[in-house]
Amino acid sequence: MAYIQRLNAYHRILHIVMAVSFLGLVISGIPLKYDHAPWAAWLMKLLGGYQSAGLVHRFCAVLTFGYFAAHIAYAVYHIAVVKKFNFDVFGPESMVPRIKDIKDIYYRIKWFLGDGPEPQFDRWTYWEKFDYWAVFWGVGMIGMSGLMLWFPEFFGRFLPGWSFNVATIIHSDEALLASGFIFTMHFFNTHLRPEKFPMDPVIFTGRIDVEELKHERPLEYQRLEEAGTLEAHMTSAPSKRILCMGAVFGFIAVLVGLILLVFIILGQFFY
Amino acid sequence: MSLSPYFKWATPPHFLRKSHKKSVEFLKNYLWHITLKYDIINPIMLRPLIIILLFAVCLPVSSLASSNEECFSCHGKQGSKGFVDPVIYSESVHRGVRCSGCHIDVLGYPHPRDIIKVQCGICHLLGREGAPTAQARQYKLSVHGRAERGGLPEAPRCQSCHGSHYIFLSRDERSKTYRLKIPVLCSQCHHSQYEAYAVSIHGKELLTRHNAGAATCFDCHMEHGISNVNDPQWKLSLIKECGSCHSAMMDTYKKTYHGKVTELGYTTVAKCSDCHGSHNILPPSDRDSTLSKENILTTCRKCHTKATAGFTKFYAHPEESNKVKYPIIYYVYLSMTLLLIGVFTFFFTHTFLWAYRALMEKIWRK
Repeated sequence: MAYIQRLNAYHRILHIVMAVSFLGLVISGIPLKYDHAPWAAWLMKLLGGYQSAGLVHRFCAVLTFGYFAAHIAYAVYHIAVVKKFNFDVFGPESMVPRIKDIKDIYYRIKWFLGDGPEPQFDRWTYWEKFDYWAVFWGVGMIGMSGLMLWFPEFFGRFLPGWSFNVATIIHSDEALLASGFIFTMHFFNTHLRPEKFPMDPVIFTGRIDVEELKHERPLEYQRLEEAGTLEAHMTSAPSKRILCMGAVFGFIAVLVGLILLVFIILGQFFY
Repeated sequence: MSLSPYFKWATPPHFLRKSHKKSVEFLKNYLWHITLKYDIINPIMLRPLIIILLFAVCLPVSSLASSNEECFSCHGKQGSKGFVDPVIYSESVHRGVRCSGCHIDVLGYPHPRDIIKVQCGICHLLGREGAPTAQARQYKLSVHGRAERGGLPEAPRCQSCHGSHYIFLSRDERSKTYRLKIPVLCSQCHHSQYEAYAVSIHGKELLTRHNAGAATCFDCHMEHGISNVNDPQWKLSLIKECGSCHSAMMDTYKKTYHGKVTELGYTTVAKCSDCHGSHNILPPSDRDSTLSKENILTTCRKCHTKATAGFTKFYAHPEESNKVKYPIIYYVYLSMTLLLIGVFTFFFTHTFLWAYRALMEKIWRK
């Protein structure tokens, strides 16, 4: 079977760092958000008290800022050095939303309702772009408010005290938005949907089956074929070892996420 | 004096009621006295021992000792040594108890010149004669009880607060422990705390305006079970005590980082008294308040050592639903809620439709 290289090692490692730090942030932050829920004190004790939970939270926050900066550096390097500023920002290779994405949403909802064919996708679908930009929004909002709450004395020098109240609300609600989105929509859209169930290994192997690509992203396949670069992207099948490691990591991450989702639902609606 | 059925049954038969019985009774009481005084039996372990010992030694005190009339014939006269007003005594909670029930070494007239100090625990720790015991047990474990046990001469004993002969229920105005008199009672030893309390909002309400609803010493420092002020369990219960009157402030406090960490059972972040003070609580509008414009920065700096003036504009009690008082909080919270509802509604609908369609495709393909 022929495979296409879809994601490089840098992408995949950053995604793993992101998954680990995100789960760490949710685990160490959730007992404080739902402090009134009966599991909160238990989880806090498990983490070794609020001081050590705070330490875990701050460590994962540093990881988050780290992978975020690493990604920005990569994007700049890719556009400036690899593409030599010859990068189509609104092209099919770009993550920047374009008119086609809005059309795709419209036609796809029509397709859900049984009206018309499924729209054809290129390299990035609209929900993948949403996931991508949601991280920018999330790291920006949660990161900034988190820094304010981490160093209140420093920010208090030029911000009024009530900005920490605002930061608390934003940090808490954005965290709910991010974790609620990842543990339901992202998990379903990429791993748990019937075509991919129980998981899509491409984020760990970086390789996608040509047949799968032809079916899922026909425009990308066509584009590569027309440009004659299909052969250049060809690669061997992923090794058993990496598939196995990806499966173990993926299942643990999804399981932890779903357990946390139960905690969130209990905390949000029942206590 | 009314006797419980058990005591009637336990009353010794007639042939034993001879003159030597008084000395037998004294011996038994004296054994209890020694036991309690030197704390030979730990109060926690007392319960099972009491049951056994009751069968072994407890006989009705009242059936043997001298009658109160006999005592009042001397001590009931105004100006006599050790004067006890028989009228007031007859209205006190101990009206049914004979003098010798507490003064166990007084077996009749004449009695020794120096009589031993009364041990309330003879009844109140052992539950004899139907006396309540919970308070004495709490006292034994409290800082006061431990100080007394440790031999501190100024440690308060029961009589230090309750008095001796004229003991009334605390709702009775004549009682030494009447609610409005409590701060003065505690001030016998705790002068500086009393001085701070007397000018505080609680103190002014209680002492000058006689508002019995205002917090007094015992509301925070539980009367018999007074614990060490560094006890974390007490610190946490103290917050609930503040919240029992200031419930709205409690609810808003719980929404902040301070309140959430405290709610999880940790005592190291700001609790009510860390900002508002303890005995000296005053409304923030008062110049001397720990939260007045002049003092608030010092108060914040107790924990946030590098805090600046702007820092003190933090709302320690934010109300997301109060549009008038906290407009910024209100609108930030509202817009965040709308954002969450918007995103989740769109994507949940999207995901559900997708799941339905993908399942259908799978079924149709087969």
